[in-house]
Order: sequence, then C-alpha cells, then structure tokens
Amino acid sequence: MSLPTDFGPDSGGRMKGLCIIKPIVYGNIARYFGKKREEDGHTHQWTVYVKPYNNEDMSGYVKKVHFKLHESYANQNRIVVKPPYEISETGWGEFEIVIKIHFHDPNERPVTLYHILKLFHSGNTQDVTMELGKGLVSESYDEIVFQDPTQLMHHLLTNTKQLTLARWEHNTDFEAKKEKTLKAILEAKAKTRAEISMLKNKLKLAKETISNFKEEIAKSQDNQFLV
Amino acid sequence: MADVRDIMELERPPTPEITRESILGADKVKKRISTGPKVPKRPEGMHREVYALLYNDTKDAPPLFPTDSIRNNGYKQTKIKLGMRKPRKWAWIPFTNPARTDNATFYHWRRPSDEPKEYPFAKFNKKVDLPSYTDVEYQQHLKCDGWTKEETDHLIDLAQRFDLRFIIMADRYDTEKYSKRSVEDLKDRFYKICGILAKLSGEKKIYTYDAEHERRRKEQLKKLQERKPEQIEEEQFLLGELKKIEARKKERERKTQDLQKLISQADNQNETPRKIDKKLPKKKIANPSRPSRVDTNHILQVIETAGIKFPDYKNSGVSLRSQRMKLPTNLGQKKSKGIEQILQELGLELNPTPTEEVCLHFNELRSDIVLLMEIKAALSTCEFELQSLRHQYEALNPGKTLTIPPQLLSGNSESEIKVASGEIIDVVGSPGTPSNT
Repeated sequence: MSLPTDFGPDSGGRMKGLCIIKPIVYGNIARYFGKKREEDGHTHQWTVYVKPYNNEDMSGYVKKVHFKLHESYANQNRIVVKPPYEISETGWGEFEIVIKIHFHDPNERPVTLYHILKLFHSGNTQDVTMELGKGLVSESYDEIVFQDPTQLMHHLLTNTKQLTLARWEHNTDFEAKKEKTLKAILEAKAKTRAEISMLKNKLKLAKETISNFKEEIAKSQDNQFLV
Repeated sequence: MADVRDIMELERPPTPEITRESILGADKVKKRISTGPKVPKRPEGMHREVYALLYNDTKDAPPLFPTDSIRNNGYKQTKIKLGMRKPRKWAWIPFTNPARTDNATFYHWRRPSDEPKEYPFAKFNKKVDLPSYTDVEYQQHLKCDGWTKEETDHLIDLAQRFDLRFIIMADRYDTEKYSKRSVEDLKDRFYKICGILAKLSGEKKIYTYDAEHERRRKEQLKKLQERKPEQIEEEQFLLGELKKIEARKKERERKTQDLQKLISQADNQNETPRKIDKKLPKKKIANPSRPSRVDTNHILQVIETAGIKFPDYKNSGVSLRSQRMKLPTNLGQKKSKGIEQILQELGLELNPTPTEEVCLHFNELRSDIVLLMEIKAALSTCEFELQSLRHQYEALNPGKTLTIPPQLLSGNSESEIKVASGEIIDVVGSPGTPSNT
C-alpha cells in the first residue's frame, strides 16, 4: 500500500462536515457435527466473521479485527489482520463474542460490536447450506459511520479495492429486510401520530371541560353564598 | 448428689470410670485426671448460692472475683458491728418563732446537747418592701382620678396584709366602702404609685404595668378556655379543610402546568416540518382547532424530538449506526418497558436493521410513543379531575349534574394502542426532559 506523503497520521485535521458510511455484516454460521465428539464433548463447528456489506477490501482502512472469545478457549483473544476477518472454532455452547475493529489511523477510535454466537435455532437464525451440509446463520447488519474523518482516513476510505470479482452476496437479504423494516416503522409512526393528534384533541376538550366545570362550580358556590 | 456434697462441703470423689477393667473387676483403678480448666476455689465463708451466681455451668471465669476475702475476713462475719456508745437524749423543748408577731410558744423535739438557736425556718418568712408616702407627697404627686386617698391607703394596707397577692387583695377589697375593682385596676394603681415614688427617690429603673394589655390577654385566655366542645370540633374541622384546600390548589396548579407543557409539545411536534418526511405517506394530520403557536423556533424543534432526547452524534470520529438507536440511559426503566411493550404490540423488532433512515424514524417513533404514553397519562388525570369536579358540583347542587363529554370517558376509548395500566398513574414529568422515575 503506497501512501501519499503529504499527509501522515499527524498531518491532519479532520475533514469537517464529511461523513462516510461503511456498511458491514457480522455474525456467525454454525454446523452440528451430528453427535457429541468423544474427546472434548464439542458438538458444533462455527465461524464468526465480520465482512463488508459491499464488495470491497476492508483491509484498506481496517488495521485489524479483534475477536474476544469465551474464556474457556485457549488464547481467547484472536486477532485477524487481513480478510477474511473470521475465526473458526468448535464448541458446545453459545456465548457473547466481542468484536473490535481497529483502523489504520490511530486517531480514529476502534468500534466494538457484540455478537451472541448462535449454535441452535432461535428467532433470529436461519438455515443455510454449507459445504459440509446444512447449518445455521445468525448475522446482523450495521453501519460504521465516519463523521469528519481525518485526511488519512478519508483517503483510505475512498480508495478501496474490490474484494472479489465473483458475486458478493450474503446469507441474509438485507435489502429486503431494510425495506420491510422501514415500511413497518413508518406505518407504526403514522399510526402513532394519528393517535397522538386524536388524543391531543381529547386533551384539549378535557381541558376546556375542566375549566367549564370549574366555572359552573364557582357560579353555584356564589349562588350558595347569596342564598 | 453433688449439691448435697457441696452443702456438706465434702470433696467429691471422682466418678468411677466405667471401663472394661472396672466392669471386669480389674484391680488397676486409674486415677482420673481432670482435664478441664481449673476452677477457682470458693472463698472461705462465701455462701454456696452466692458462689453459684459467680460461676455458671460452663465454668467461665467470673466477671467479678472477690479478692479481699482473706484479708478482711470478708464472708465470715455474720453480723453488722453496731456502735456500743449510749444513745443521746431527745427532749420536748419550747421555742418561739421570731417571724411571728404574737410570740406564740410551740414545742418540738430537740437534742438538749444542741445549742439553742433561732428557729431555723424563720428566715423563710419574707416581707415585701412596700412604698410609703406622706400626705404631702400624695397631694403633690399621687393624686389620680377615680382614686381617693382613703381608697389608696386601703390598697396599700391590703398589699401589706396579703404580701402583694393581688388575687386575694381583689377578693378582700372593701366593696362596701369603695366600688368593685379588678385585679388589673389594683395592679395598675399600685405599680403607678411605686413608679412615681421610685422616680421621686431618683431611681432610674422604673417598672411600668400595661393594664390594658393584661386585660386583653386575660380576655383572650378566657375566650379560649370557654369554648364549647362543638366549637373546638368545628375549629379543628375548618383547619383541616383549609389544609385540604391548599393542597388541592397546589396539585391543580401543578397539573395545569404539566398539561400546558404537554400540549405545546404536541403542537410543536405536529407542526414542525420534518426534513425526511418526504417518504412518509401523505397522511398529514389535521388539527383545525389548534392555534399555530410555534413558528420562530421550529428549527430548534426539529432537532429536539418531543418524547425522548437522543444524543446527537455530531462529534467527529467513528461510531456505529446501531449505537444511535440506544435509548438514553436517563429515560427510566418504566418508560423503556412501555416502549418495548408497544413496539411488540405493533409487531416491530426491538433492534431493527440500522440504516440511516430506519434509525431516524425508529427514534422518532419511540419518541412519539413516549409522548403518547404521557398524553394518555395526562388524559386519565383529566378524566379523574372531571369526575371529582362533577362530584363537587353535585354536592353543591343536589339533583343537578354536569355531563362529561362521552369521548372523554375511558370506557369508550378509541385508542388502539393500550398503555399498561401501570403507566397511567404518575407520569407527570415534562416530556422534553424524561424524568428518572
């Protein structure tokens, strides 16, 4: 990687007002052995990964990805410096994996993702076909937002290479999911807004009624004093 | 058995140990050696019961231990040594009390050996110094309307006789010769005389007596004393009512303020144009009755969501989009639970796929949900107030009533989203600054 020399890590102010977004997908796939392994009781093989949502080489701006596994694993801190950013292991239990993405420019703080390793089917998992038969996948979409990136980072972020010439696709159809989610949220929002405005009118009416009532009471109190 | 031995002060022989040898009649009897801590011996002469109080069953060391028993022959002495001198004599002796003017002689018991002294209680017979005046002085200084010289003399005489006990003086006042006078009148006259005479003799400190104040004070006390039980009850009742009225007034003011805030908040929310509303289905909510109030500061309002204030991510640096959907920690558990529940009822994910748009609308939606919950809470407060006002009215005008508009009654609420009943009770904080309840 050749870096232009006019801006090193220290040269730079941030580029105000600029915002670069890098969508990513992270999660795990897992496959059941079919039986409990004799030697260690492990039942599944799994791979936890971070990959770009778009077809691009993240190593341009990502220095390393740090996976922190469960403490029962030998060297629980695994560091991957080049794609594919993934760790394959075997095991028998689900746990939370902390994924920390470090960037080339030390001025940009690393971001931390939390993923619950899934071995068994639940609400957010789906079947997937793997090389060695059927497995399951549990992955999430997120976006890394670079607000006012440093000049170095901006250069790195905007000059990325394609990761592969082949089709780059994911196990989950995030486009459809995004669309569906947005639609559902917008509908819910409209519904809530409508209800708010209705209730607000009610509240107005209630307030008016309250003041009317108060007047009535004041009037009848006056009358009482006259009588 | 041990007790009896103790009483007899016999040494207790060691209990024969039951061993195989003893049962078999073996000759070798082992002397049992006590392994327990050595208990101090009972001091000579100390009674067994007393000693037992010092030592309990566990044979702990006693909190107090007698150390003087040997030196003073402490517990052996059975009787108090009484004096061997002859008792002194007492005699029935007459005495006079110098405080008395009649020289009466009384008798009392006294030791003849004691020196005859002045009766010791005579000194307690104190006499007051009373002002005295001559005729000339009276004519020059002490003349007063309503008081003759004779009556003044009578007053001074009474003061002398009863040692300034004004209550008695008023009682013994010669009402045949003079008109009836109250305690205050007497005091007033007496202290005035004292004052004038003191002034004449050149004293600087002169006491004054405010008869008028005293009269008022007594009158008030009398009134307080003479209240009837019913009057006392009524007074208590009225005081209670006053407190209640004040509390209610405060409560009402607070609620009105909250309501005002909520309404203006809701107004702001619907009237502010939103930049990203383009994609929203054109369901512009019509609110004809509401006067448009916010025009100038609506730019500010765009940033400031009504129900939840999400932190701005305007700072430079890297962040994750999903972080922006985190509810602020100051929101409070009750509200976040409420949001969660409503989201589930709406069939939405709690953590949707975080794109920019989703993030924005999701946050706005949750903000709206909070506002909605608060409006609902306010509405139920209003309904409650309406009910209570109606009761108040009915109490004032028997047979008449006020009608609450039917749509305000929670029975036929058209709302589709139900708020858990727990939410309704006490959401009173202003929605702009989520309270930490």
